[in-house]
Amino acid sequence: MTGAVAAAAGGCHIFSGCGYPAPSLDNFIFTPIFSIGSFHFTKPMLLAILSALAVIVFFWAAFAKPKLIPGRTQSLGEMGLLAVRDQVLRPALGKKGDAYLPFIISLFFYILVCNLMELIPLLQFPVMSRIGFVWPLVLMMYGLYWYLGFKAKGFFGYFRSWIPSAPWPILIILVPVEILKYVVVQPFTLGVRLFANMFAGHLLLSIFMVATWYLASFSVGLLYAAGSLFMVFFVFLLELLVDLLQAFIFTTLISTYIADSLEHQH
Amino acid sequence: MIIGMRSARRPDRAAALGSGNPQTQAGEHLTAGTGWNVFSYLIAGMLTYGGLGWLISHFTHISLFFPIGMLVGLAISVGWIIYRYGRPFEQGNPPKGDDR
Repeated sequence: MTGAVAAAAGGCHIFSGCGYPAPSLDNFIFTPIFSIGSFHFTKPMLLAILSALAVIVFFWAAFAKPKLIPGRTQSLGEMGLLAVRDQVLRPALGKKGDAYLPFIISLFFYILVCNLMELIPLLQFPVMSRIGFVWPLVLMMYGLYWYLGFKAKGFFGYFRSWIPSAPWPILIILVPVEILKYVVVQPFTLGVRLFANMFAGHLLLSIFMVATWYLASFSVGLLYAAGSLFMVFFVFLLELLVDLLQAFIFTTLISTYIADSLEHQH
Repeated sequence: MIIGMRSARRPDRAAALGSGNPQTQAGEHLTAGTGWNVFSYLIAGMLTYGGLGWLISHFTHISLFFPIGMLVGLAISVGWIIYRYGRPFEQGNPPKGDDR
């Protein structure tokens, strides 16, 4: 349990002489569940593993023995699969991108479940709000679409494909922009977008949850506590949307980058 | 989705694109990530020429080059975005942007 929440749980209420225990970066630092030497196993790691297991188990249950007339789990799985295929994959890659469907599906649902962990009682922490989980993911994606680019166009061909077709005086101006876009901006925005949204969302939820507890007392504070509680529900719903949206944007962008690697037309 | 809107508003042009099912055609006409691509260009332009401006101002001790560089970068990005994604279809240009 983190500092602010612990202070609140310890009976820190308004008019009791203690200030509002504002959530801070402490909320993102956990005491290890167990340690092996210098390796510390913490709650976010556990949640990341749980998320992966949840996705594997769900799709295993849905598609291990697919039936012509699908059961409930298979129907749900098919709905998710088709939604991702039609809204994420096909708009970017077209029908030929179906080869990447298992990859994109796994990625989408893994990120989604990781994000949704912030809304599940007791777990209540979005894995992707720790940037250590985001960068490896981004690096893997970055490596993938570079590899696909090299494979499709050859080593130099891939770099050549970055150069737009324009008169050479314009090229002198544009090529540095293109290089920076591919090498720095794309992976950076990909990672930071996911991380920052999850980080801010968790902080926002914590602020209102702690505020509700802090303001709850037999005084006028109860009124404010009710307002804060309303905000908890509001932010909860907002986060539900953000979680879905971030998973969607991440996979959409990966599909776009893969399409860009496979065929690049300026 | 965007293609669907297009075919509703401008059926002649949608037909001219030869699009059957939009989702199967979309591979050739990238749509979903175009907005984010534009965003990437904006940042990359400002970063490149802002960085260049910062370097110049660092060595010449004239701090004005940094904001000028950023503005120049932004202008280049905007110009390139308009050139690449905003060319009117009527002029015989192949559609390059979002509205494909």
